[in-house]
Amino acid sequence: MQKTKSQISLPTARFDEVFSTEKGAIYQSDEEVCWYVDFAGKLAKFDYRNLLKLQKAVYKIDIENLLLSSDKSPDLEIIFICACDHCYVLSLIEIISLKELLQGAFVMLELNHIIFDRLHRLVG
Amino acid sequence: MKDIIRAKCLISSDIEALINQQIKKEAHSSAIYLAMASWCNQNGFDFSSDYFFKQAEEERMHQLKFYKYVLDMGGSAISPDITNVKQEYNSFREVFEEALDQEISVTQSIKNIAARCYKEQDFVTLEFLNWFFKEQREEEYKARRALELFDVIGEEGTGRWEIDKHVNKISYQEA
Ligand SMILES: [Fe+2]
Ligand SMILES: [Fe+2]
Repeated sequence: MQKTKSQISLPTARFDEVFSTEKGAIYQSDEEVCWYVDFAGKLAKFDYRNLLKLQKAVYKIDIENLLLSSDKSPDLEIIFICACDHCYVLSLIEIISLKELLQGAFVMLELNHIIFDRLHRLVG
Repeated sequence: MKDIIRAKCLISSDIEALINQQIKKEAHSSAIYLAMASWCNQNGFDFSSDYFFKQAEEERMHQLKFYKYVLDMGGSAISPDITNVKQEYNSFREVFEEALDQEISVTQSIKNIAARCYKEQDFVTLEFLNWFFKEQREEEYKARRALELFDVIGEEGTGRWEIDKHVNKISYQEA
């Protein structure tokens, strides 16, 4: 596996999986101090500010309201983040999946933070 | 896996959200005091009007102090939308009653932030909040004293004129 990777010269930076679901995954790169969101068919890089903006943008979508709205407008939501190269055009189902992915990732990041605080920073 | 978020920001997202709420509250207080200054001025209570102008400025300063703290800690400070500013009052006394209510509710919401800090063991923010607790001591004292003038002096005859003259003289000597 490692060999094939280097042959097609993928980035050598090490990724840690933060959280994944059937629909996508979020990885952290310690070296680049950023996260990679693998979702809706693309791998997008987010720095700290932009990941928080993505979280905010997704969390504030009123899913219930979209589900209940009876108008004929297509159930597509555009997630655009200022000063960030990425933009998502997602269906309702995809929004729910992305929200689930982000929620899971932030729980894992929080857990990682607790472990650092209680263990590494005390003992190390 | 490194703790990137912690390296970027000292305060948690919950504390950040609470302080942003407080920023809005201070901005709202400032706007309310400005409305009170206007009402007092229009009704001939010049000293009280000055007093509320000063209060409005102080609240603005509190807002900025919280704002700068969030930014200094690496968080994102949100410039608040201010709506629902009461412009009309039924009486001179009502203005002071509401001023005291406003201060009590500010003290309460800062206590709420501190409670969250204890839960998270965020001693850094707690220490920062201490300045505000001391400030609220003075703010509530002044608001209470102002309201008490209505009972001590009484509103009959030239009472309100007398109350207005005294409002600006209220000062707090720290215990
Ligand atoms: Fe204040
Ligand atoms: Fe105040």
